[in-house]
Amino acid sequence: MFNSLPNLQVSWEVISVSQRVSTTYGESPILAVVYALAAIVAIILFMSLTAMTLVYTERKVAAHFQCRLGPMRVGWHGILQSIADTLKLLLKEDIVPDQADKAMHLFAPVLCVLAALLALIAIPFSPYLAVSDMNIGVLFISAVSGLGVLGILLGGWSSNNKWSLLGAMRAGAQIISYELSATLSILVVVMFSGSMKFSEIVQSQDQGWWIWRAPVVGLVAFLIFLVASTAEINRTPFDLAEGESELTAGFHTEYSGMRFAFFFLAEYLNLFIVSSMGATLFLGGWMPLHIGNLTFFNQVMDLIPPGLWFALKVSGFIFLSMWFRWTFPRLRVDQLMKLEWKVLLPIGFINLLLAAILTLSGFYFFPGNS
Amino acid sequence: MNDTSAQPTRRIPITGYFARIFTGFVSLLKGLKITFHYLSHPSTVVTQQYPENRATLKMAERLRAQLTMIHDDNGYHKCTACHICEQACPNASIHVAERAKPALSKTELDTFIWRLDSCTFCNLCVMVCPFQVLQMKSTFESSVYDQRLLIYNLSRYAGPTSTVLAKQADDEARKNAVEPRSVYDGPTALNGFFLAGIPKELLVTLDRKGEV
Ligand code: SF4
Ligand code: SF4
Repeated sequence: MFNSLPNLQVSWEVISVSQRVSTTYGESPILAVVYALAAIVAIILFMSLTAMTLVYTERKVAAHFQCRLGPMRVGWHGILQSIADTLKLLLKEDIVPDQADKAMHLFAPVLCVLAALLALIAIPFSPYLAVSDMNIGVLFISAVSGLGVLGILLGGWSSNNKWSLLGAMRAGAQIISYELSATLSILVVVMFSGSMKFSEIVQSQDQGWWIWRAPVVGLVAFLIFLVASTAEINRTPFDLAEGESELTAGFHTEYSGMRFAFFFLAEYLNLFIVSSMGATLFLGGWMPLHIGNLTFFNQVMDLIPPGLWFALKVSGFIFLSMWFRWTFPRLRVDQLMKLEWKVLLPIGFINLLLAAILTLSGFYFFPGNS
Repeated sequence: MNDTSAQPTRRIPITGYFARIFTGFVSLLKGLKITFHYLSHPSTVVTQQYPENRATLKMAERLRAQLTMIHDDNGYHKCTACHICEQACPNASIHVAERAKPALSKTELDTFIWRLDSCTFCNLCVMVCPFQVLQMKSTFESSVYDQRLLIYNLSRYAGPTSTVLAKQADDEARKNAVEPRSVYDGPTALNGFFLAGIPKELLVTLDRKGEV
């Protein structure tokens, strides 16, 4: 069925951390365990550092979007502000509402972080840096990130507060709805590249990124993904789950200190995950930018290491998300549902159909060299 | 986009569906353009880095942070102690104390007491004064450690208005008609004016050196 697909140029040798651990295990089990532990510590460090950097960036970018300066006091241009805030959150009193479901109240933020952490496993940072390169990577991330909504629902429910519950219910409805569109747009890329394995999807974009390599449908899929993913991670203009103007803080109204920090961490990790998904599926992931037959240009681009390419693309995506957040006003609940069921979903289905036809007819750009 | 949504009963044709998506998209892009302009032009930032820029800080003229009484070049004001501002104040933040023994006019101002701590800066007193004696200034660094220090005396002397004084024969006569009542001159006489929560004895010995 997929015989019109290009034979992948395997110029990049892909190896994941889990593969490396298992090969080392054959030689020396202790080394493998040390290796795995180091990887875990690295992930945790990466997780907290990413969140801290993102929070600082978001505050700075938001401030300048609104003609303000943002944090300026702690360190040069407030660069250490996130560290100060983290310390504050760590030392804060842990307040649990009297009538709350204590165990669930504690479990909810942990679940949110857990979902984000699990999704991080499949992210391909570079050909040599991915925790695991599983053959259902795309499916895995879609599934696991859906787990986060359970944390939000639990948090809202266990707080025993009407605002929290309303926020949580909204989040549930929203995420379930928008997951459809997000998946439909992801399917377009999966169809074109003929694989759900991230390394193969990235390598299939050797000649050009799917956003323009798939004629029009790629761009439409990208736009749908952009909207749906923003809604999935509850960011403005889709932050109805928090909706501070009507729900004080939505599902995390009753959270403070470390527990709140966990929700916060999960929120920014999700931003990172969604951005890396977008960058990997539509913008070529760690693959350097190649344009047709411009050999010299392509060689110059190859000089930039793939990890940096990935970082650049993800930063671009994150910036776009922040730009949206600080520009657009929040939607009403009915508008939100209308946008999904009356606009995004029908367009997504038609787009998928077109993409299927295009894939079968082998009609997309730059197929020759591959 | 608006004209079609205003008529909910009418069916939106399929072209209208796409037109609405398109116009919505365009307007979103316009919004993005505006915010990007702010981001890319740091000169649009309005935040002041106070107190670092304290020396060069310029506050807006219209900022109402402190009530002042206008005194002319000779140090004389135009207040006739008519009490209109006192009555206009919704918070009883003003007390106009008349001179017990007026020298030249029927009524003369002794001390003009203004309580910053209960003032809402509504500007009513400034607007009602028939002689434009009062003025709002933008000097905003008014914080002190003792609430009593927020009770100001705005008049610099007790005596008739500048108009009456101008009619006097010489400086000697003018000097005899006034006596100093300045915030710089030590305790402010409050003429028995009751201030909630503050014992009277304290008020008499209130020292406001260096304030205002
Ligand atoms: S500004 Fe308003 S509240 Fe303040 S003293 Fe004048 S009239 Fe009273
Ligand atoms: S300040 Fe103006 S309104 Fe108030 S007592 Fe003096 S003259 Fe009258």
